[in-house]
Amino acid sequence: MDYFLQQLTNGVTLGGVYALIALGYTMVYGIIQLINFAHGEFFAAGGYMGVILIGWLLTTGAPPWVCLSLGMLLAMGYCAMLAMAVEKVAYKPLRKASRLAVLLSALGMSIFLQNGLMLTQGVYDKAYPTQMTQGGFAIGNVSISYMQVIIVAVTAALLIGLNLLVFRTRIGKAMRATAQDKTMSALVGINANRVISTTFAIGAALAAAAGIMVGFYYGSVRYDMGFVPGIKAFAAAVLGGIGNITGAMIGGFVIGLVEIFAAAYISSQYKDVFAFIILIAVLYFMPTGIMGENVDDTRV
Amino acid sequence: MKKLAALVAVLCVALMLGACAKEEKKEPQVLKLGSLSPLTGPYAADGNDIANGARTAIEVIKSEGGIPGFDDITLVAQDSACDPRQAVAAANKLINEKVVGVVGAYCSSSTIPASETLAEQNIPMLTPASTNEKVTERGLKYMFRICGRDDDQSVVAVKFMTDYLKAKTVFVVDDKTTYSQGLADNVEKLAGEKGLEVLMHDHVNQGDKDYSAVLTKIKSMNPDVLYMSLQNSSSGSLMAIQAKRMGITAKIIGQDAVYHPQLMEIAKDAAEGIFLTFGYIDVDKPAYKKFIGAYEPKYGQPGAYSGYAYDAAYTLLKAIKEAGSTDPAKIREKIMAMDYEGASKHIKFMENGDSGSNYIIRVVKDGAFANFWDPATGKTY
Repeated sequence: MDYFLQQLTNGVTLGGVYALIALGYTMVYGIIQLINFAHGEFFAAGGYMGVILIGWLLTTGAPPWVCLSLGMLLAMGYCAMLAMAVEKVAYKPLRKASRLAVLLSALGMSIFLQNGLMLTQGVYDKAYPTQMTQGGFAIGNVSISYMQVIIVAVTAALLIGLNLLVFRTRIGKAMRATAQDKTMSALVGINANRVISTTFAIGAALAAAAGIMVGFYYGSVRYDMGFVPGIKAFAAAVLGGIGNITGAMIGGFVIGLVEIFAAAYISSQYKDVFAFIILIAVLYFMPTGIMGENVDDTRV
Repeated sequence: MKKLAALVAVLCVALMLGACAKEEKKEPQVLKLGSLSPLTGPYAADGNDIANGARTAIEVIKSEGGIPGFDDITLVAQDSACDPRQAVAAANKLINEKVVGVVGAYCSSSTIPASETLAEQNIPMLTPASTNEKVTERGLKYMFRICGRDDDQSVVAVKFMTDYLKAKTVFVVDDKTTYSQGLADNVEKLAGEKGLEVLMHDHVNQGDKDYSAVLTKIKSMNPDVLYMSLQNSSSGSLMAIQAKRMGITAKIIGQDAVYHPQLMEIAKDAAEGIFLTFGYIDVDKPAYKKFIGAYEPKYGQPGAYSGYAYDAAYTLLKAIKEAGSTDPAKIREKIMAMDYEGASKHIKFMENGDSGSNYIIRVVKDGAFANFWDPATGKTY
């Protein structure tokens, strides 16, 4: 039982990270039907920006928790701007082109950003100042680290915040309207370009938050760290029903848990196999994903 | 008028090209050395160490008077990306560049196909890092190896577990590359023969960051030793950090691919006490000091294969210098006759191109690697 609970803790932590990244995929897809393959790179860029900023803030002598939260907010802001720039350069000129052209542009952008990171930050791993988040506690025989608690707490807070944003604010309403019908929403005075830009920015900021938490949790970042989680989070978004926010969250946690339990009870080498078997099985019986019913007003 | 301007422009360009061509004829004689290693992708850190090691050897040779008949020596560094197909393409590129010899590659799975391509042109290849046995077991005349072999490495690891640690149980984990799984399989087999109980042999995926599932499993089985056969130091440090966080008390034994200053930089105190099988390094000998004196100011602390790459390039250039020719047969003759003290080890080749293994157990102590246990004598240093 302890073993099961310990693995459950591991799975929920991993799932939280996937969920945060998956949200970016799903929001962008919801609004312009584009699978933004460059999304994983925002996660990596956020991880790097986080370690650079937090490292710099720590030298100013401010209390660690101020450095952590301020650094995280700044890195999220940076990635939001990066995503808006990427959207302007790589996707906006192709708004009327075929979907394949935009998809290829996304792949190209992903390669460009990853190599940009490699050339500016080097090929070596960059260490995070993990001493400030070390430690943990135990419930019975299940040990939980503070970082796991932070990951789950921050993920939950961001998810709630995002839901409020999408369903309770004017910009959220505009996003949902644009997702439903771009032409019609433009006719009633919604600036579609601004809405699309905002969507990219929010998605990238969430990915950046995930990147920083992953940096603290695992102790380091690397220029190619965005690729594998990017693919997993994409699978999570599809599993949950791409375009659906709640779906992406559920998908993230499902993929995280399936991976950990496959590794725990079968073998680590099969964990990706099982993650994708689940994906295929769900899509076979529910082709639009877990939450993917075609009720367009829940979509972003 | 426009046409006239265009004509003048074309003429100007043509003249400039002509001037260039003329200049090229007067260009000095340059000796080109090739290197093959993953400069991008997950193994880029080790790959760049290899290229830098070769560059250092070139500088040292130049400072020692260069090679008669050549005005300059350059390195043509190619990216093998640890991918067999790209390694072959890169090898062909080196052939087109007319290199006299190649230092590389890193992954055994790249070295083997690339060496077949280079062998067609009789270009000597010296690998600083590929430890898989097959590299020198194919009867290739121009294949040499500076580092040790996996079959020797696993023997030392298991001997250390039984003789020094007096371990009863071991948990083996690898990340499924030709190299890491080959080594883990060897350890599993040898441990069984020596009466060491292998609790489980599990595999993780390359590029994984989260090892919590397998580590929870290890914690519940509580082995004496965790044999960690991973392809690079980045995976090794991730596993070390997470193992410490979980409170795993098993002694961790790694291998040469995990050996890199990055291990301590990333894992910090979680790296303390990790044992690794690696070649014996005498930091006090003049040859090592010469290498480190030229390497460190430019490229920082050397990685696992920097020294081997330096020795590989140095050996090749030394052979060319002694032969007074770039003819492969003559270079081979000189390489086979080598008997000198290199930076990483004593350089002397056997008929198959191997230069022998000198694996010992090294340990992470106070944030640095230190010699720890000698398998030949069974004593600590």
